[in-house]
Amino acid sequence: MTPSVLVVGEPHGDGLAPVTAEAVGVAHVLAGADGPVAGLVGGAGSASAIRELGQFGVGRVLRIDDPGVEGASPGALARAVAAAASTVGARLVLLGGTTFGRDLAGRVAVAWNAAAVNGATDLRWDGEALLARRPVLGGRATETRRLLGGRYVVSTRPHAFPVPERPPVSPSVEAAPAGPVPPLLLGPKRLGVKAVPSGSGPALADAAIVVSGGRGVRAPENFRLVEELASALGAAVGASRAVTDAGWRPASLQVGQTGRTVAPQLYIAIGISGAIQHLVGMMSSRVIVAINNDPAASIFRVADYGIAGDLFEIVPALTAEVRRVRGT
Amino acid sequence: MEIVVCLKPVPDAETRARPLPDGTRFDPEGVKFVLAGYDESAVEQALLLKEAIPGSAVHAISLGARSRTDEVLRAAIALGCDSATAIEASPAAFEDPIAVAAGLRAAIEGLPHDLVLLGKQSGDEEEGLVPGALGELLGLPHFGFVVDLRWDATSQRLRFGRSTEAGEESWEAPLPCVIGLQQAWNDPRTAKLPAILKSRRAPIATVRAPTGPPEGPTSEPARFELPPPRTGAKMIEYRTPAEAATKLVRILSEEAKVFP
Ligand SMILES: Cc1cc2nc3c(=O)[nH]c(=O)nc-3n(C[C@H](O)[C@H](O)[C@H](O)COP(=O)(O)OP(=O)(O)OC[C@H]3O[C@@H](n4cnc5c(N)ncnc54)[C@H](O)[C@@H]3O)c2cc1C
Repeated sequence: MTPSVLVVGEPHGDGLAPVTAEAVGVAHVLAGADGPVAGLVGGAGSASAIRELGQFGVGRVLRIDDPGVEGASPGALARAVAAAASTVGARLVLLGGTTFGRDLAGRVAVAWNAAAVNGATDLRWDGEALLARRPVLGGRATETRRLLGGRYVVSTRPHAFPVPERPPVSPSVEAAPAGPVPPLLLGPKRLGVKAVPSGSGPALADAAIVVSGGRGVRAPENFRLVEELASALGAAVGASRAVTDAGWRPASLQVGQTGRTVAPQLYIAIGISGAIQHLVGMMSSRVIVAINNDPAASIFRVADYGIAGDLFEIVPALTAEVRRVRGT
Repeated sequence: MEIVVCLKPVPDAETRARPLPDGTRFDPEGVKFVLAGYDESAVEQALLLKEAIPGSAVHAISLGARSRTDEVLRAAIALGCDSATAIEASPAAFEDPIAVAAGLRAAIEGLPHDLVLLGKQSGDEEEGLVPGALGELLGLPHFGFVVDLRWDATSQRLRFGRSTEAGEESWEAPLPCVIGLQQAWNDPRTAKLPAILKSRRAPIATVRAPTGPPEGPTSEPARFELPPPRTGAKMIEYRTPAEAATKLVRILSEEAKVFP
């Protein structure tokens, strides 16, 4: 029997977050060539979300019409996901491994009585079991977990899987089953969302490229060198703790043990020495580039490519070169 | 406010991770387990709330091998937590994050709890599954990846932020609630020597969680691998900054294929 897979669509602007498309690609592979893949989307903005799912070959879409679920706590949504998974007879629920997906996964697993793993970078069946690989210990090691018991909830790490190329279909749409949500779960209220202003680059945790600056930039006003390179690359901006502790940039940009863990395709460390507490937050990046005027800096031991030199000279040259190549 | 703070002993960041000879999992032999930096921050958050709201108490709980939990719980007492509970079980029962949540529930249900706080766990292995699983098991709302948690006395609600793909969200939630914190944005206090000495004699309560492998769906470690050692950066030779820039951009697009 081909295993049926349900992909939970993550709303983003008018459509879906890019990571949802990546999860759909994984779903097609795990469901087998013509295995059933279903999608779940929320009320507002669902028309374009449904169209997007169709473009990636999802033939059946369940739509949550209960406005109470949207903007309520993840608890209310988890119940809806569990009910939809049962309706489509899924063996696997896939989510994108963003804040949204990772936060939901544990709750869905309990509500639907499934085994769960977050942030998978590789997935394959092993008979009835599912093998999921992911970086652990801040990228210092990789663990493969065996999920057992026939029902699985998995979030996929952003950028770990390609966006699928499938013949587009026009999906069937049905209402997702609505169950009673305990009043306690409807207590929390979202007061607002400050959309990340366009032009300020992607969110740090989900970015394909991250450019981070450290104490080597010497003063808050110089940090714009880092930001300009990031902007030329369409990258997110990060920082070492030296920078956030000094208040040069907000703590939300801090990468490392006590900040965020990032794993982009490309990580550029500028004026960062490479303390272990910083390294554990970025070591599973695919390619690491370091720019530092101390050729003995530890960052060069984990980097793939290094430029030993003065960041005040190198970074503006790099920004100019990126702009030239990109024609911007 | 009765606050339960869940603490997890994690391998020290300086630890050299290595697999067991059978390659299935991490070898804990000789590894130092410590109160993680982000758990220190969760304790700090709990203590700040306690200080802001008269009549509050903070209960520290920790799950795992006794030698590891007691160390972490005593550190929490020395910082100012009011009680400590160790959750004991066979290691096999806790190799799955959902089972971990079930173990935490066993202790939390025996304690008064308006707010259950967890630190960020990404340096370790669970990547944010536990707060949601725990919320569902307790039948309480939960939020993971929370920043800037505050108590609003006027509305008698928690206020906090979360940064998601959609942007910076702001939320308010009534108690009871389970909160997983995203990062250490506060400056954790350090324990004073007399408090550390006193914590050595502090009582630690014991809860025995369900032992044996959990029934139904679960997960187990199958393989633990170290990445091939990084051989060090390929250094770019250059005479002028412009040449360095041209060479790097070419390498990134042609060799590393990450750009443009
Ligand atoms: C419990 C704990 C948790 C921590 N958590 C984190 C964390 O999450 N994230 C984090 O980042 N740190 C963390 N730290 C701090 C960490 O140990 C380091 O202190 C910090 O990462 C150093 O930041 P830095 O590399 O920017 O500064 P420095 O170590 O001061 O390095 C600055 C670098 O800039 C280079 N430089 C100077 N001038 C130039 C120039 N003109 N051109 C090029 N290069 C130049 C120098 O050679 C040097 O290598 C933590 C520490 C502890 C104890």
